[in-house]
Amino acid sequence: MTMYKEIVEKRVDKALADDFLRKATRRATDRLRLGKFKAAQDLGDWEDWRLAGEAIRTQVVANLDFYLKQLIEQVEKNGGHVHLAKTPVEAVDIVRKLVHEHDAKNVIKSKSMVSEEIHLNSALESEGVSVIETDLGEYIIQVAGEPPSHIIVPAMHKTRQQVADLFEPIAGHTLSSDTPTLTKFVRQEMREKFLHGDIGITGCNFAVANTGSIVMVTNEGNGRMVSTLPRVQITLMGMERIVPSFRELDVLLNLLGRSATGQRLSSYTTILTPPKHSSDSDGPEEFHLVILDHNRSEILGDTTFRRALNCIRCGACFNVCPVYRQIGGHAYGSVYAGPIGSVITPLLEKDWDKWGHLPYFSTLCGACTEGCPVRIPLHDLLVKLRARKTLSGHTPQIEKRIFQGYRYMFTHEKRLRQALRMGAHLQRPFVKHERIVGGPPPLSNWTKSRTLPMVASKSFMQMWSELKLSEKSSNSDPIQ
Amino acid sequence: MKVSLFATCLTNAFYPEVDLTMAKILKYLGHTVDVPEGQACCGQIAFNSGYISDAREVARTLIDSFEHSEIVVGPSGSCIGMIHHYYPFLFENDPVYLAKAHDLIGKSYEFTQFLVDILKQPDLGAKYSAKATYHPSCHATRFLEIVEPPLKLLEHVKGLELLPLPEAQLCCGFGGTFSVKIPKISEAMVAEKAEHVLASGADLLLGLDMGCLMNISGYLEKINKPVKTMHIIQLLGEGMQG
Amino acid sequence: MTTPSDFISQLATKLGRSTPSQTPDPVPIHVPEYRLSGPEERATVFLHNWQALGGKGAIVKSTDETVQCLKEWFGELPLDRPAQQAIVAWDLLPTIAESAFTTLNWPLVRYPQSALDTRERYAIAAQAELGVTGADWGIALSGTVVMNSNPQRGRAVSLLPPRHLTFIETSKLQDNLFEVLEAISATGSPPAAIELITGPSRTSDIEMDLSIGVHGPVEVCVLLIEDELKD
Ligand code: SF4
Repeated sequence: MTMYKEIVEKRVDKALADDFLRKATRRATDRLRLGKFKAAQDLGDWEDWRLAGEAIRTQVVANLDFYLKQLIEQVEKNGGHVHLAKTPVEAVDIVRKLVHEHDAKNVIKSKSMVSEEIHLNSALESEGVSVIETDLGEYIIQVAGEPPSHIIVPAMHKTRQQVADLFEPIAGHTLSSDTPTLTKFVRQEMREKFLHGDIGITGCNFAVANTGSIVMVTNEGNGRMVSTLPRVQITLMGMERIVPSFRELDVLLNLLGRSATGQRLSSYTTILTPPKHSSDSDGPEEFHLVILDHNRSEILGDTTFRRALNCIRCGACFNVCPVYRQIGGHAYGSVYAGPIGSVITPLLEKDWDKWGHLPYFSTLCGACTEGCPVRIPLHDLLVKLRARKTLSGHTPQIEKRIFQGYRYMFTHEKRLRQALRMGAHLQRPFVKHERIVGGPPPLSNWTKSRTLPMVASKSFMQMWSELKLSEKSSNSDPIQ
Repeated sequence: MKVSLFATCLTNAFYPEVDLTMAKILKYLGHTVDVPEGQACCGQIAFNSGYISDAREVARTLIDSFEHSEIVVGPSGSCIGMIHHYYPFLFENDPVYLAKAHDLIGKSYEFTQFLVDILKQPDLGAKYSAKATYHPSCHATRFLEIVEPPLKLLEHVKGLELLPLPEAQLCCGFGGTFSVKIPKISEAMVAEKAEHVLASGADLLLGLDMGCLMNISGYLEKINKPVKTMHIIQLLGEGMQG
Repeated sequence: MTTPSDFISQLATKLGRSTPSQTPDPVPIHVPEYRLSGPEERATVFLHNWQALGGKGAIVKSTDETVQCLKEWFGELPLDRPAQQAIVAWDLLPTIAESAFTTLNWPLVRYPQSALDTRERYAIAAQAELGVTGADWGIALSGTVVMNSNPQRGRAVSLLPPRHLTFIETSKLQDNLFEVLEAISATGSPPAAIELITGPSRTSDIEMDLSIGVHGPVEVCVLLIEDELKD
């Protein structure tokens, strides 16, 4: 418990001390937020779109068993194979087995948050399989050995010089740190990998239940490479990532592109119904869909938190979150950061000791809820998670006592009045120029960076009672 | 109208003049004002920390104290927001108090909202010369969708020049217990808010929630950049005397 | 490993009911859809949006105009030397396109027939200067071209060469994505791949600095062929 508390504090301190990170986070989130704002405007009534998005997601999640069954049947009918994984370990095993069966040496990957969730790369690499992240941002953090710091721009915390330094040993010569040079290097480096990949592993933005199609939204084109060139395609998806049909896809794609990057549509929206038809000149001959549960079914069964499954992973909540803005993604410590990460990580991982800090990474300002294109009440879910944690007995004793005291005092105004009178005396040693400038913890946490007004010599309730008394005795209204 | 005041825990203890001024303004406008006994707090501080049952008892006390009121007005978007946004959840398994909670929701207003939307009195004839900026606090804006009323009131204050606050939508970092539970992130947030307040060029910061104002002014003072800070109620009160 | 039926029935338990046997009622969708007044506006808006994303675009009515345009855009490239296999294309392009390339004497390598081995075909596409395709639909609102896969085409043609040129008849333009998805649904089971391409390959992964052409084409061009217009 304490151990984790210290780890969390260290991560936060590190983030707050990192000027570049903080500037970069502001820059990235400001840019994405403004882009979204503009793109949302040209769609007509954005609120109508959000409502439609919410309705679609809610209906899918409420019928997830039906749609998953349909999806599985369709994928198999199309000639693909479906694998169901209850846990991350099972999912990794499935992929590992497929890689071995095909004797694959080169695995190329496009972006998949599920692969991060199950820590796939390290598992494959430990067996000598080369796994290459092909999304530029993902590639940068793969080379750096770091988790993503933003769900849409995973390497936004790296300076161009850091990127150049990371790439130089691979290039075998010095690289200048301008964007065109770095991008060109990656283009050349990746080309060979694309052309010689044995297996392509992709993520999945949406799976269309009634056709068995996988929809992938990317900007670089790496997703297309990975799903076109290798002979075998493996797609990883969280089990909730479903739309019933193309009809609903319209709404969700419109919301996703705009919310994620401020684009009407991303550069490449690819609707795949693999495997390739026998006479097609390209595309994978073999297709495997790995569907991951990892406690999503627990969330499904929990009506308080079920709405967390409505998420379309657009990252808009990151870009409006004032906490994320200050610390970036790594301070959260989880694969999924930002407001939605703070909601789903404790639910997916079920470990309060390790992830219990996340629901508190919020002032409950509600910006995330306001920004979410499918109207997930993120801040409500955060506060309800705090309640869950308290109920489960994972909060510190001292905190429990403080709130017992609070309840004792604030359910009887007369007690409170007395306490305030006492407070007005007790504060004296800490007062300077009419402000409280110090005090015992947890007050000191405040006074380290801020002053506090003095407890008034008379509380308003006291003042009012006295005024009322004098009103009675003088028969006039003293506050007029 | 017969108006019951909700003196929030923060104003009651630290800023009684805000509650008192609110009473004076409402009386001035010809309303009968009372302050029901027993009220202490909306329960938000415990609720937001995850202590639901403690919050529930405090909320019950508040509901009881306003049971016979016709209209309840409070000087805080956050506390009124707590009632409107979370009381139904707090009492979802208690039909009796759920009904009482809905009754309270139906008759409670944040001060600026009450003046502008209900009383339709945005112009109190106040005069106050200053260059001011306004921080739209999160709960008023997002829970209660109070955007226009405070601005309408300020528009009508003669002599007041209202300057835009950059990145106004950003939370100030208060968040109740957040500010002491994760003080470093809270400090980083209030530091940025203070930056924007200073960049606005205003010498007066206005708001409708003392929590946020206490946070921002506390920081500004610590860094020795004391920008005067006032609740809109205080501004109106002083402006009406002048 | 969990069997599908176990997996599904566990979800049904979580949802507190048995799995529905009928397709659940779809939710009603009420969103304001983007509508244009007619074919001319559609073409104009499409081009405007396509160009705003950095694509080249023009409307052509005849082979001559097409030739002019191609010369202007690609005249500098060494496209007329057959040995270079500089242009890969689908088996069949719109008539105007075919005759324009013939007039220019720029030889086209037909991708599906270019080699027997798949990897060899990739290599051919990867070393080409220009990939030429048709399209099945265009979307005016977003400036998007949409193409289905089929045996006479090839997904790599619009992906591997540094330049991609699409020919699309104006009658194939739609206002919005919804119409295209509806049209796809109407064709029954979808092809192995439907590519919706909106501008060149792009990334902002390094310091949020926009960079074009990281993996896919660096330059994308569209020639709108004015044909019988849809109204
Ligand atoms: S919670 Fe909402 S805003 Fe956040 S990533 Fe998911 S869909 Fe986007």
